[in-house]
Amino acid sequence: MATVVGDRIFINGNLQGDEDLTVHGRIKGTVNISKSLIVEPSGIVEAEVQVANAVVSGVVVGNITATDSVEILKGGRMVGDITAPRVILTDGALFRGGIDMGDVKADDSGLADARARAAASRRPGAPARVERPAPRPAAARPATRPSSPARPTPPRPAPPPAPRAAADVPSAPTGMGASAAGGGGPPAAPKPPSPPGGRRKKILLKRR
Amino acid sequence: MANANTIIGSSITIDGEITGEEDLVIQGTVKGKVSLKESLFVESSGTVEADIQVAAVEISGQVTGNVVASDKVELKSDGRMVGDIKAPRVLIADGAMFKGHIDMER
Repeated sequence: MATVVGDRIFINGNLQGDEDLTVHGRIKGTVNISKSLIVEPSGIVEAEVQVANAVVSGVVVGNITATDSVEILKGGRMVGDITAPRVILTDGALFRGGIDMGDVKADDSGLADARARAAASRRPGAPARVERPAPRPAAARPATRPSSPARPTPPRPAPPPAPRAAADVPSAPTGMGASAAGGGGPPAAPKPPSPPGGRRKKILLKRR
Repeated sequence: MANANTIIGSSITIDGEITGEEDLVIQGTVKGKVSLKESLFVESSGTVEADIQVAAVEISGQVTGNVVASDKVELKSDGRMVGDIKAPRVLIADGAMFKGHIDMER
């Protein structure tokens, strides 16, 4: 049970559902699915994305919120912000934006929690897991973070891809004030990658 | 890492600035600023609360601060970092914890 968007398909609008979605073509708008989004090397997603897992080998411009993990593989390119308990950047991936994995200052139990999740999911080709383990103590979380665990979430207005200040990074306990000042150069200016030419035939696909 | 020249042991705390032109391994605690022409290794017992400017850094411990690397930043599976990264190559392993901003523009 999976949906495939072929490489000569362009979808402009909102896409939501409860099955895996593989994108070889182009999607613009919002994507809200409770399983995995796979952006193949030819795929282009310009969207606010809410998923359980995202695996990016193509291009994503927009923000991704994942209940489980976001993985950017070699050749994958993304501009936008990632919110997910697990984020994996592979060598050869290109990324520009913010990453929020929740409470980084986790005590060892939180860390063990993350490890367990990471270990549990190291099964290649495993089906998407929607559920999440019990959340860490709410008190330890930044207030801005949604605190509910497993959620095939209702659409939540996400901030625009960029530019953004790094000000939402909580400054570290021992006052690396520079961190909050966003010393990382000018804010990201998302420029949609120029789509591969020659296949601009636009077809609207209506999901069942 | 085996041929790293300088090692800051796990019982050592440094508050200040470290500059140099050779590899540096941190097993202890460093606060302030680290500026190297070579690689920095923050081992699992290491804690760095500093702005870091290096060619490459490999993080298995904890880093708080901003990192600018001319080559790459690698967060290992037990690494934890809060801060911003600017480097042409950034690797985050599964299990690593990171919060901040990444800019890979060359």
